[in-house]
Amino acid sequence: MTAFPRGSAPPRVQVHRQTSSGRIALVLFALAVIGLVAMPWWAKTGTIRMILELCCYIAVAQMWNMLAGYAGLVSVGQQAFMGAAGYALFVLAQTFGINPFLAIFLSLLAPAVLAVPCYLLLHRLDGPYFAIGTWVVAEVFRLAASNLGWLNAGAGMSLSVMKDYSAFERNVAMSLLCALMILVTIGGSYWFLRSRYGLALIAMRDNPVAAASQGVDVKRLRFMIYVAAAVGCGLVGSVYFMAQLRINPPSAFDPMWSNIAIFIVMVGGIASIEGVLIGALIYFIADRWFGEYGASYFVVLGLMTVLVALSARSGIWGMISKRWDAPWFPIRRHLTLTKETP
Amino acid sequence: MQWFDALVQGVLLGGMYAQYALGMALMFGVMKIVNVSHGDLVILLSLVGISLASSFGLGPFTVMVALVPLALALGWILQKAILNKVVGEDPLPSLIATFGLSLALQNLMLQIWSANSRSLPGGGIESRSIEIGGIYIGLLPVIVLVFAIGLTWGLDLMLKRTRFGRALRAAAADVEAAAMTGIDARKVYASATAIAVGILGFAAVFQSLRSTVAPADGGAQLIYAFEAVIIGGMGSIWGAFAGSMVLGITQAIGFRIDPGFGVLAGHLVFLLVLATRPQGLFGKV
Repeated sequence: MTAFPRGSAPPRVQVHRQTSSGRIALVLFALAVIGLVAMPWWAKTGTIRMILELCCYIAVAQMWNMLAGYAGLVSVGQQAFMGAAGYALFVLAQTFGINPFLAIFLSLLAPAVLAVPCYLLLHRLDGPYFAIGTWVVAEVFRLAASNLGWLNAGAGMSLSVMKDYSAFERNVAMSLLCALMILVTIGGSYWFLRSRYGLALIAMRDNPVAAASQGVDVKRLRFMIYVAAAVGCGLVGSVYFMAQLRINPPSAFDPMWSNIAIFIVMVGGIASIEGVLIGALIYFIADRWFGEYGASYFVVLGLMTVLVALSARSGIWGMISKRWDAPWFPIRRHLTLTKETP
Repeated sequence: MQWFDALVQGVLLGGMYAQYALGMALMFGVMKIVNVSHGDLVILLSLVGISLASSFGLGPFTVMVALVPLALALGWILQKAILNKVVGEDPLPSLIATFGLSLALQNLMLQIWSANSRSLPGGGIESRSIEIGGIYIGLLPVIVLVFAIGLTWGLDLMLKRTRFGRALRAAAADVEAAAMTGIDARKVYASATAIAVGILGFAAVFQSLRSTVAPADGGAQLIYAFEAVIIGGMGSIWGAFAGSMVLGITQAIGFRIDPGFGVLAGHLVFLLVLATRPQGLFGKV
């Protein structure tokens, strides 16, 4: 560390974070978001539905990635918050007659408020037990929804107020919500990882004990990530069930979302935004091509997850980035020496 | 009287849950691994047992004699092929691996046995009951409870008294120190998983005698086993047994209050224990 002779001026250094691959990716990302916003003018309703599904996969997977990849909180129960926000939307818009597009934002309060007591209970369980604990919480939510009369119990609810809007108006809303979902989850995570919290988070990912000794408030950071991920998943839930127009307890709290998120993140590459995009695209295409094979298709997905856990823990993006150092969302800080002043 | 009846039924139900929970307590206590496919293994063994019974015309206890060695072998293979490669400080790989295995197993079973519910014919044993002081007690649940007590007692004794039990506890406390005294941790782990899954061989027979099994049921069994272990206190065999009793009794009383409330009542007691006594009823701090 003491490479510089005493007495001489400290060398001038600059911190670089952006790379040329990152700049290209950022432009492509901006174009993709604009493309999402403009969907009603270039895509059919069916295509918009498909892209909405893809955006939901990306968003949920990225939330799981923040939890498991950075905060060390492996959850298999994020569907709890998707269902909670979905139900909140249906109650606000259908029962109380609030404008559904306003209700979507208000519905995010439900996961935010519910995440706090959930975390206070669950953080007492460590590692693998935390994961199963989150599953129990999701089951409690599902069973509670099946028993509550004002949620229409097991029969579920319909969002018939959407009939007041024309098909084009709904397409515009869905496209804007897709763009928002991607901006908030992918853009938001990128911004967060580049901020000083991101630095703390990366330190925590590498070694929580060492990070704590460096002054990182690990507990507070984990709590923040848990609540943020709950809200992120809530947004996906609200948007997804608004598009579905129907909600009932088994679909609202479907553990399949956890399977999808884990598959996407593990196969794509954990602890990287690039991995989520790659994994989501693979899952989306595989689902289109092989979805008709039903059970045997899920056997293959399950076995692939086992294989990744056994022998390729950094996933596809891990293998790519080992060969080519061209991150799409660079978060590393590079120190470069500038010319010394005379 | 009605509540006393619920209590008795709850204890009997707890006997069933104890048979799931023992294996989980053993695996977590020794390797700090939570096997997410725990419940799916019960269902797999049940379905294999049902197929055996129907194709060879075997009685339930003959099926058990065939199923337990099969379960032991399955556990051994599971540890050798998968878990030994992911066990370590970081809980993520083992969790993800067993999660993927659970997904694959569930859908494989769906492929082979279809989504239908099945049960094991017990030759009349499942419907016989004894009347004691105005309460009818099923003969089968009593047998389940007796087996559960026997298994708990045997497992506890094995951990405390045998050479293998000492090796297991040593490996659980400190792998490296245990290795220095000549204990091969991987061998110990393989035996531990074999025993944990072996116990599920008993559970599978009783589960399919008591009620029906379908490929998608594994998740619920995993959650019950997990709740019992946490309520009882981690790392204690009798604790897991006691936790199963608490869970069984809570669910039975919940079902009496409202049929939709039974399972939820069990979850709520689990959360209550987590809030007030996170180390569990019998856990050490």
